[in-house]
Amino acid sequence: MKKRIAALLLITFVIILAGGCWSRVELTELAIVLGAGVDLSEDGRILLTLQIARPGAYTAGGEAGGRGREPASWVVSAEGRTVPEAERFLAMKIPRQIYWGHCIILVLGEELARREGTGMVTNFFQREREPRENIYVLVARGRARDFLETYSSLEKTSAQAAGFLERMKTGYSVQLRELAEMLVSRGIQPAVTAVEVTEAGTMPGQVPGGTPPPQKEVGVAGTAVFKQDKLIGWLDPWETRGFLWLKGETMKGVIIVPGPEQPEKLVSIRIRRGKTKIVPEYNGEYPRFLVKIRVEGDMVEQQTRENLATPEKIKLLEEEMASEIKARAEAALEKVQGEYGVDIFGFGEAFHRKYKKEWRELKYRWDEEFSRAEVEIAVDARIREIGLLTRRAGIPEE
Amino acid sequence: MVKAMLEQGKIDSKQAILLLISLVLPTAILTAPAITVKQAAQDAWLSIIVATMIGLLIAGLVTGLSLFFPGKTLLEYAEEILGRLPGKMVGLLYIWWFLHGNALILDEYASFLCSALMPDTPVIVFFVFVTVVAALAVHSGLEVLSRFNQLFLPLVLGLLLVVFLLAAKDMEATRLLPVFDKDAAAILKGAVIPASWFGEIVIFALLIPFLDRAEEAPRVAVTAILICGLYLLICILVVIMIFGPHVSARWIFPTFNAIRVVSIANFLERLESIAIAVWMFGGFAKIGIFYYAAVLSSAQWLGLKDYRPLVAPVGVVLVALAALCRNIVELLNFLATAWPPYALGLFEAGIPLLLLVVARARGRGGRGA
Amino acid sequence: MVRFIKPRKPGMVSRSNQQISRPRENNFPDTSWKEQVLSPDLDTNLAQIKAILDRCSDVMYREFIFAQNEQIRLALIYTDGLTDKEQISEQITKALALEVAMAAPGQEISKSRALEFIKQRGLCVNEIKQTDKIREIIQAILSGDSVLLMDGYATAIINGTRGWASRAISEPEAEPTVRGARDSFVETLRTNTALLRRRISSPNLKIEVFKLGEVTNTEVAVAYIEGIVNEKLVAEVKSRLQRIKVDAILESGYIEELIEDHPWSPFPTVNHTEKPDRAAAMLLEGRVAILVDGTPFVLTVPNLFVEHLHAAEDYYERFIFTTAVRVIRFFSAFISLTLPALYIAAVSFHPELLPTTLLLSIAGQREAVPFPVFVEVLIMELTFETLREAGIRLPRPLGQAVSIVGALVIGEAAVRAGLVAAATVIVVAFTGIASFTFAYSASIAFRLLRFTLMFLSAAMGLFGLITGVALIGIHLCSLRSFGVPYLSPAVPMTGADLKDVVFRAPLWAMFTRPRLIARQNQKRQEQNLKPAPPETRPRW
Repeated sequence: MKKRIAALLLITFVIILAGGCWSRVELTELAIVLGAGVDLSEDGRILLTLQIARPGAYTAGGEAGGRGREPASWVVSAEGRTVPEAERFLAMKIPRQIYWGHCIILVLGEELARREGTGMVTNFFQREREPRENIYVLVARGRARDFLETYSSLEKTSAQAAGFLERMKTGYSVQLRELAEMLVSRGIQPAVTAVEVTEAGTMPGQVPGGTPPPQKEVGVAGTAVFKQDKLIGWLDPWETRGFLWLKGETMKGVIIVPGPEQPEKLVSIRIRRGKTKIVPEYNGEYPRFLVKIRVEGDMVEQQTRENLATPEKIKLLEEEMASEIKARAEAALEKVQGEYGVDIFGFGEAFHRKYKKEWRELKYRWDEEFSRAEVEIAVDARIREIGLLTRRAGIPEE
Repeated sequence: MVKAMLEQGKIDSKQAILLLISLVLPTAILTAPAITVKQAAQDAWLSIIVATMIGLLIAGLVTGLSLFFPGKTLLEYAEEILGRLPGKMVGLLYIWWFLHGNALILDEYASFLCSALMPDTPVIVFFVFVTVVAALAVHSGLEVLSRFNQLFLPLVLGLLLVVFLLAAKDMEATRLLPVFDKDAAAILKGAVIPASWFGEIVIFALLIPFLDRAEEAPRVAVTAILICGLYLLICILVVIMIFGPHVSARWIFPTFNAIRVVSIANFLERLESIAIAVWMFGGFAKIGIFYYAAVLSSAQWLGLKDYRPLVAPVGVVLVALAALCRNIVELLNFLATAWPPYALGLFEAGIPLLLLVVARARGRGGRGA
Repeated sequence: MVRFIKPRKPGMVSRSNQQISRPRENNFPDTSWKEQVLSPDLDTNLAQIKAILDRCSDVMYREFIFAQNEQIRLALIYTDGLTDKEQISEQITKALALEVAMAAPGQEISKSRALEFIKQRGLCVNEIKQTDKIREIIQAILSGDSVLLMDGYATAIINGTRGWASRAISEPEAEPTVRGARDSFVETLRTNTALLRRRISSPNLKIEVFKLGEVTNTEVAVAYIEGIVNEKLVAEVKSRLQRIKVDAILESGYIEELIEDHPWSPFPTVNHTEKPDRAAAMLLEGRVAILVDGTPFVLTVPNLFVEHLHAAEDYYERFIFTTAVRVIRFFSAFISLTLPALYIAAVSFHPELLPTTLLLSIAGQREAVPFPVFVEVLIMELTFETLREAGIRLPRPLGQAVSIVGALVIGEAAVRAGLVAAATVIVVAFTGIASFTFAYSASIAFRLLRFTLMFLSAAMGLFGLITGVALIGIHLCSLRSFGVPYLSPAVPMTGADLKDVVFRAPLWAMFTRPRLIARQNQKRQEQNLKPAPPETRPRW
């Protein structure tokens, strides 16, 4: 009896250890993907680009390796009919197992987004268990591949740089799960951050004794507007602000208003926080929306010479601020509603919340309904703080 | 009484409550949200409330019935009520149900671990490991099983709460609106499957004889169902508030995805592996309890003096049954369509109701609580 | 296959308990003297004793004459080294050969009255006992008592003249303390019982003595406080002790292995301590202490798992500090068990567990390392354990050098050589440090189990790790120590006792004894003892 137990245990032991430990992958055998980009190739297939981290460049406090910076990532591409097929072709070039668990961004090329739409791409990233739900989705102006092939001056890789940009919500940040929600819901159409490769700053000292070359960096460049899953247009950063305020997200930004007494000079107010409330109404024919935007900001700069630190002046500034915000929001609205004719703000969902019966039919043609909708914007702007100064301290005394 | 020789252990009320929570919660929290949201969209939380009430009814039915027959398990008083042969048939049916249910749970559990944690590992490895652990727990006796449960379940419950709290940042209450978007029929339909999970509390009928104080059985069952219902409710609310009704319905394991989303201060993130690790204990406990039910009832049915020799064969049967299911789609399909009438209608509510009616009609059984 | 489901028949004895092999019997010289008694003749007795104690050159024979009656010859037998020679010469030899004359000057004591006279007025020793059994006489001689034989009497007087060189009471080596008494038990039973008595000055402290060990005849004392302890527990302890039939008891560990409930478990179900205050506290909770002559380690039963994570001074400092320290200790216990396994699981199976920057940093370190993580961790762990063991064996001045610092230095060198990654060294070192925070007795179990968990986690990742922890949990839940569940008061949960598991409630709040140990007499103290300035002191 004892011998049998011992034999059984031995066999189990051997099976466990020698079975190959199916899921075990050493860290050094992983190709850690930091960013993925999907483009449309010339013959209509998918071009998958991966930015893979090179761990050798990441040893904290390791030995210094030469004067130059060791590249922290490696970018490689392959084609295929679908994303998994392209991944398999990539596996033929990458000596390690592709690991998606730390992928930060997913970049869609402009052409792919226009012609084929996101539907070709996103299902893989949602269904597979390795990519996470909070991958940031971006649309590149141009090719995703070019976007990934840049490197970053401040962060170690451009994927990380883009990820951090998204995390700080400088523009409109969309995670994969939010994109999925927008794609599924009939009350809202997707809008995704638009990014591009731009010139940004220089790194002095790189070229000894000469002018350092301008760096090509990744940057946020507005918003991409989608209808269903296809890209139909862009909003530039200016309009993106308005869009964000209408949506009620990321209430940040700088408002420039003309000074109350010196209209040719400007006063800058930075928005700190705010809230947007959308009140839908339906009269049976077309929907009406009342958008109430409330913002609070601080005055951060005045180019005028007057003393703005009085309640009356502040009130005037607040009114200017409100009208400026309203103007920008209306501009964004006009572009989206008028030119593109899609509801990327979520008015449909607000409508659904209030008028669930009507929604049941309207939802199938919501974009049409939305194009006909009347939107009234009411802005309530407040200025809270004015920094550290009252009057300007740089002008001679009276 | 035969039972006195089969199991010497005694469990007190606190342990019983935890056992019952373990009986229902671990797998319910895993797949219930998706299935319920598919039917009821953002009103799924109302479905859960309805399901909890159904669960309370079943709990009341089962404990009331058992209290008419103090000291006897379900199989024993089934024979007493219906007569020897029909009683044995009922017993056999229940044994089959325990085995089948356990195999399904095992399948669900192992599939989840396989899909979510280690996809390259063949799922049968998970079957075997989990069954071995559960077998060891069952072999050591009811007391050990309930102590093990008492040790780890509070951890599971606590961690779930903490994770849900951490997810608050990504939750938006507006996703729950509008309420009553779907009609009442959809809400009720959505309540059926969670109710069939709550109904698994019928296994309590096997454990009541081992309670320290049997008269506390109704209170124990009700408390357990309420706590389970609360947790499921919070879980569904969290899931809907993070993903919205449409996306939630499309995940297979939305709770898992919800935990993946948690990210605080860019530091407290990637918690899903820890959450799974802790949740695994709950799974062990649930499978262990079902396993115990199958073994104990088989031993009673066969009239054995000790249930220990049955542990290994039942384990083998379990693994075999679980391995019969070809893929997760079959499993989900079965759970969504065939399971509710089969489990709820027949075993959890149907037969106990029948037993109760016949018992009162024939005047069998002593005074209940 | 049928064998697997054959149930156990009642009365079936487990195979390890059956007498399977028949070793050759001992070849002791003739032991028939154990049954015999003395004869009245002194020379016969002396001859017999000398024959039994043949070639025991440290046994001394002193013959002398009774002062009051020249006819009476006396012989004193004692073992040199075990007796207090001063006491013997002053109180026996001198008293009987010289000074007894002062007690009854001029009186002639007849042979028949001599024994009584000697016993009552002659011997000045503190303890005397009278016997005629040779077995007792031999035992007495070998224990350090001296035996007085009288010509004409078939009886001997055993004098308690024990005294030997023994270690002075010093600081406990295995349980250093910051606050609290620094004395520790020593190797002499009487001194140890005295240390206990000093702390528990109550007539209810009962100390019963047995002799165990066929050859060593070691004295073993069972101490308990009547009225607090569960009578059945005492009976069980005594019955288990009496079941022991070995030839030697050299250390309390021998007894521990022979009376424990679960010999195959890595967890100890019998606790031991070197400190009298800790032993006294155990007794006051309703436990039984077993003191063994020849070792300063005193056993206490029943033993709960949480005791291994407690320290005596937890009760001497204030409760807030103690609670914090205990939390650290519990956390360290968990770490010392699972950290290497977690590391292996995270790096080999679940890289998504780690934050991106940490992962990339570790990946960068691992680029240079030739081994898989599991092998690396195993090597470092084994190295560390070896160093630890070496540190204990080395003489004290050197022992400090070879320990954690040594391990870290070696680890650093290994990192530079590219054999291991720096993260692995940190993990292993921290695990080692964590395992030092609690008692040595439990840390052995944890060290063994750590390797098991490492294997499991290397095979199946987090799933294997949790399976391992679950198995350990099931095992712990099934252990009982003398009838008390090993994991109480956590499971089964006895609410009042949770005051002393991880948190330590203030002293004025702990007014009951552990429920499962002290079945009767659970009230420790009054309930309204919270201190406060006079105005706010509760009146009830």
